[in-house]
Amino acid sequence: MLVRKLGSIARLSDEERRAVMRLPMTIRPLPGGHDIVCEHDRPMQCCLILDGWASRYQLLAEGRRQIFSFHVPGDIPDLQSLHLRVMDHSLCALTPVTLAFVPHEAIRDLTTGYPGIAATLWRDTLVDGAIFREWMVGMGRRSAYQAVAHLFCEMYVKLEAVGLAENHRYRLPVMQVDIADALGLSNVHINRVLRQLREENLLALRNGWLNISNWPELAKIGEFDPLYLHVDRLTA
Amino acid sequence: MSLHLQPVPIATGSRDAESRLVSADGFLVAVLVRLSEDHGVDEGRWFLEAGFGRVDDQGQPTFADLDEAQAWIQHRLDGQ
Repeated sequence: MLVRKLGSIARLSDEERRAVMRLPMTIRPLPGGHDIVCEHDRPMQCCLILDGWASRYQLLAEGRRQIFSFHVPGDIPDLQSLHLRVMDHSLCALTPVTLAFVPHEAIRDLTTGYPGIAATLWRDTLVDGAIFREWMVGMGRRSAYQAVAHLFCEMYVKLEAVGLAENHRYRLPVMQVDIADALGLSNVHINRVLRQLREENLLALRNGWLNISNWPELAKIGEFDPLYLHVDRLTA
Repeated sequence: MSLHLQPVPIATGSRDAESRLVSADGFLVAVLVRLSEDHGVDEGRWFLEAGFGRVDDQGQPTFADLDEAQAWIQHRLDGQ
């Protein structure tokens, strides 16, 4: 999965590919809702998501929660802990997940020995920053209707890049309240918007699967331009 | 300070069409919307669609009934 993800960011040589495959990993399943790493922790390892969805978040007063990002298989959502010793936010499993924990030491050795991989991981964190900028626009300037459309388009492109979505259809295992907390909206607004999008025949949500029936229109509503995800690099 | 509730239909773009304008001493302080059957188990609850001044709340709570909503709004207006 890591090779596939890194391969979606940059072209890896056979040697680099083998080095990634040699990384020591401890595979661990975790139930949904379980914290993977918490704010103020000083982790000694990073986790690669093999299965399921995770999110970075922070808790506010009165139990309110802001979700900063959704993470899918192939992501290393706590990669920053390699260089920023103390976690400034928490990371939790939104669904049951399978994670591969890789010791910091091993990633350090890998990036020292293979500058191309270091550059690829750096590039990944830059894309991460680009996604944050888009979310900032969404929270500050998009309507609930546009923000939901944009998020659904973004997740499709991310999942498609690692081979987990095709034909504008993907498994969306998160709950409505997670989407609300990610977009800074109320659950009521998310419910209204989902109904509206369904009634306009733009998408269908059934048994945890999202089917985007009218991609051009949904992308237009969300003003979605996939440029910031930089996944078209290899075909460009 | 007493609250005054005025029923008014609201265009939320959904089936949530019943609302109350909530005023305190003649000033509009909140808009409450009754959640429709679209919201499943939350049907019939009252949603803080908008709150002004001290009643503004990013968390946009919902309330079991109008009494509970008014008590919450009054509490906010009392500065607590």
